[in-house]
Amino acid sequence: MSNLMMSGDFRECLSRIPDLDPELFLESCKRPLPEGFRINTIKSSEENVLKRLRQKGFVFEKIPWARYGYILRDGGELGKTLEHMAGLIYLQGPVSMAPVEVLDPKPGEIVLDLCAAPGSKSTQIAQLLENMGVLVANDVNHERIKALSSNLQRFGVINCVITLTDGRKYPRFARGFFDKVLIDVPCSSLGIISKNWGIAKSWSLGMVERLSRIQYQLLEAGFNCLKPGGVLVYSTCTLTVEENELVIDRLLKNYKNAKLEDIRLPSLKSRNGVVEWSGRRLNPDLEKAVRIMPYDNWAEGFFIAKIIKEVGGNEVNGYR
Amino acid sequence: MKLMDTGERKHFELRLRKQYGVENPFEDLVLLAAGRGRVRATTKEALEVAKKLRRVQQAGVYIAKISKEDVILSIEGSQVLNGKITKSVLDLDEESAEKWMRAEVLEVRGKYEGKYVVGKCGDLYLGSGRITRDGKLYPQVAKWRRIPVE
Ligand SMILES: C[S@@+](CC[C@H](N)C(=O)[O-])C[C@H]1O[C@@H](n2cnc3c(N)ncnc32)[C@H](O)[C@@H]1O
Repeated sequence: MSNLMMSGDFRECLSRIPDLDPELFLESCKRPLPEGFRINTIKSSEENVLKRLRQKGFVFEKIPWARYGYILRDGGELGKTLEHMAGLIYLQGPVSMAPVEVLDPKPGEIVLDLCAAPGSKSTQIAQLLENMGVLVANDVNHERIKALSSNLQRFGVINCVITLTDGRKYPRFARGFFDKVLIDVPCSSLGIISKNWGIAKSWSLGMVERLSRIQYQLLEAGFNCLKPGGVLVYSTCTLTVEENELVIDRLLKNYKNAKLEDIRLPSLKSRNGVVEWSGRRLNPDLEKAVRIMPYDNWAEGFFIAKIIKEVGGNEVNGYR
Repeated sequence: MKLMDTGERKHFELRLRKQYGVENPFEDLVLLAAGRGRVRATTKEALEVAKKLRRVQQAGVYIAKISKEDVILSIEGSQVLNGKITKSVLDLDEESAEKWMRAEVLEVRGKYEGKYVVGKCGDLYLGSGRITRDGKLYPQVAKWRRIPVE
């Protein structure tokens, strides 16, 4: 990527990302992202679908950190196959499968995906629910909700409800209602620049600040919708501390019953969340969160934090 | 979201039995009337959850369209019913299944009772197709579900 294609703010921002190797980062921006896909076990068995794909000449590899997940190595365009159109597979980046694995939905649970469109993670949640329990998939964007609805249809998700509303309003009617909540927020998308170089050009610090505010509001809303004892996963496909650790740090300060948990993702290269940044000390538990650089696995960059809502305890610390 | 009333559901299930030989089609599922003869299916629990929420757009999946006396199953509709469809099933080889998913017109041999059949390739059901008197078959695959033609 030439210097001309980055805004000044963007260059400045890269220098503020902890532990970032700029050379490797720029290299990762030039490489195409690997094509991942998941087998839809709601519709067929994993073996059957793999057999069909092999017969058609597709070559792929199992993703160690995601059940039913594979990386395509050769064979053509999966998006134009009968298997894709009939809903036997879902195309999704390999690292993008990690947040739902961390959430680990179990059959029978009631799960909220607050920022769900176009539905990659919703369909993944649905498959782990095995048709038992309920998936609630929400988004605020009317156009994107159409894609969400199509994808849930194609995937054959019977036990789902789609809502169209600002996620920040959810606690007004669903406070303490869900066993699990996924907050996959809108973000500055630094982890997927190779998909869209426009991100680097239109970058601004103001945008990051704006996003950070809405990300906190969505996280707080999601946390308030959790049952005591429930689990929340917060994820972004970006690397700035403002959109990741600072957002979580604020929740931990405001809610005593919010606790970070360790994350285990086999074979996925990652590093700990930062606990000190720009002269600020953050909650030391933030090292339990994971940051994934795009060059760690030559795939998408992500940030993932897993939060438990402890049973009992005082909700708000009282200084917001 | 509107529940299908008992009369409508009975009529729908009767059509399914006559057309596709399906007994006890949806057991515990809830059926929703989604307008213009379209039927969606979801679970009781999802419906209960939906009642608590606001700005609900839809629940479950679109399974069929009732057009006068005929039932046209969507891909998911035929998959929900899979093992239960005993009549008017058209077995497709891989090549015809690909054509079906491109919504290409197929030729059929043999007699079928109704105007519609369900396409099936191995264990994979692909929804309904319409048969004409001259033995042509028109797969009823929604545009957005078709394999794109180069
Ligand atoms: C990163 S994308 C989500 C991707 C999705 N989870 C997936 O895996 O396919 C973020 C989404 O948040 C939605 N969004 C933005 N602001 C929102 C709000 N206030 N409430 C709910 N959703 C919002 C956007 O429309 C966008 O679809």
